[in-house]
Amino acid sequence: MKDFILKRISAVILPFICIYGFYVILHGHISPGGSFAGGIIVGLSLIAFATVYGMKKARAELPEKALVSIESYGTLWYVIMGLVGIFKGVPFLANKLAGVNVGEQGTLFSGGLILLISAGVGIRVASTIVTLFFALVEDES
Amino acid sequence: MSSVTANLPVLVVIAPLFVAFILTTFARRIRLVEGLVIFIGILGFVGAGFLAANVFIKKTPMIYQVGGWPAPWGIELKAGNVSAFFLLVAAFVSVPVSLFSVNNLSDEVGGKERVTRFYVLYLLLCGAMAGMAVTNDLFNVFVLVEVATLSCCGLVSSRNRPRAAEAAFSYLIMATLGSTLILGGIGFIYIITGHLNMGFAHEGINKIWQSNPHVVWMAFSFILVGFGVKSALFPLHVWLPDAHSAAPSPASAILSGVAVKGYLICLLKILYNVFGCTLMREFVIHRILVLAGTVAIIAGSILALMQIELKRRLAFSTVAQVGYIIMGIGLMNTKGLSGTLFYLASHAVIKSVLFLSAGAMIAASGKKNINELAGIGRKMPITMAAFTIGSLGLTGIPLFSGFIGKWNLIVGSLELGNVIPAVVIVVGSVLCAAYLFPVIRVAYFEPVPEEDWKDPRLTQKIALISLALAVLILGIIPGPFLELAERAAVELLALK
Repeated sequence: MKDFILKRISAVILPFICIYGFYVILHGHISPGGSFAGGIIVGLSLIAFATVYGMKKARAELPEKALVSIESYGTLWYVIMGLVGIFKGVPFLANKLAGVNVGEQGTLFSGGLILLISAGVGIRVASTIVTLFFALVEDES
Repeated sequence: MSSVTANLPVLVVIAPLFVAFILTTFARRIRLVEGLVIFIGILGFVGAGFLAANVFIKKTPMIYQVGGWPAPWGIELKAGNVSAFFLLVAAFVSVPVSLFSVNNLSDEVGGKERVTRFYVLYLLLCGAMAGMAVTNDLFNVFVLVEVATLSCCGLVSSRNRPRAAEAAFSYLIMATLGSTLILGGIGFIYIITGHLNMGFAHEGINKIWQSNPHVVWMAFSFILVGFGVKSALFPLHVWLPDAHSAAPSPASAILSGVAVKGYLICLLKILYNVFGCTLMREFVIHRILVLAGTVAIIAGSILALMQIELKRRLAFSTVAQVGYIIMGIGLMNTKGLSGTLFYLASHAVIKSVLFLSAGAMIAASGKKNINELAGIGRKMPITMAAFTIGSLGLTGIPLFSGFIGKWNLIVGSLELGNVIPAVVIVVGSVLCAAYLFPVIRVAYFEPVPEEDWKDPRLTQKIALISLALAVLILGIIPGPFLELAERAAVELLALK
């Protein structure tokens, strides 16, 4: 019971850190931040979970298979979003020309494809950070 | 259909990446993974063929603006003759190599998961190579160089041996140094021109190089050394023999055959499309390239002669062949440049067939050294025939593809009135014969061993035969391909 305080406090603040990370990811195109920075915040909250509650529990919550598929599909998502442009008859990754505008400050759903692309990149970055951490920790033990 | 054609420059890059990220889903069904890799390889080859035909017939480069943003701001892809040429080569070689690795990797690489990871890295490398061919943006070049380098490190370390991990680590250190230098060089160009697009950077650098000669020198030297490390130019080659001989054979083939050439094409594009001919002459870069090339040819060949392991000998031979290409880049005339491009293509095909047949022989016999492979030509006729055709092509015997490239390089250097490169090319060919023909002699004219060594499976035979046929076809009817190379040379020299 020696880490009681640590576990209680992190149980309270980790969800907020995680949600803040998603906020940064989703608002990347209209405010400072972006999918990489937000993904790092989400990933760090998961790493903090692993350090506080132990690797065994973290592995149970975040199996390697899930992390690998998130990494693959996050990147695949980016390519698919890029192909939307081609299917609309404009160049790869085109956003404005595909029928949506570049976004207004303060309005979340004004950026068209950018929001969807950032979401994919964000969760991909988060899972990469967690995978790297797991690889380093499990290598030592 | 026309929309597909218009989007070809970007599709050839993203198609391999797209499949690479799907592959992990099917890690358990390895047949499906292999089928997908071969399918996307053939699709890429067809796409590259269409693109090359389009460029060849219309005689204008295909320009593609990613995201619809025009050139100085957005990323521009430009598929000119050089790009189409290299794209065709890389796409062609990757098909037989993936065909060769079907059902063959589990001994060297490990279980299904590891084999799938191998294919993911392989496709990432193919995508990066296609990207290097078509990109017209300096920062994009750096990103693709990084993608290719990290995939190469993964491919080297994919073999389940401690030696492979060690080689991959030293490669990673050297290659990261190279990437840093490349990024530095690109940074210098960006500082003085304010552009990352190659065309705009070229205009900018031509206006202001006289007031900033030191910055241009720095950019030149950073880029030259950076790409020199990546493509194993002679004194910077130390990582290559370990990495290329420790990797699984299909990986060695693609690394030595195509990956090294991708960096050389990037160097070629940056030197001619960004700095331009005037600056190269003003800063005597072409002399440095010719000198570095001649030294690399002689030193690489002599080092190859000293090796007793077959795969290490082939890896050192790559160091020598990179010398020919670097020398040709420095010749700066149509003959020399078309020769160097043709030689690049022929070496890509030849080194793949050599590494694949060497891999098949080593896998069948379990012997790594050349003198232990005595009499293997009688036991594995098709494999050894492919190896022989590759060796003859690399030496530059007429009717084989290496001859056309070397001939054009010699003519190009004589046009400049410079005899030394021509002499070095001939000496290099003699040395090449000296280090490859003993393998053939040992294989055919030594007593046949008792062991039961057999030719590899059908798919692997098809891969070897198609590559060997490509060596012969490039040597006997080089016509359209040489013309594409000549047009690429004219295109490169057109920018002043």
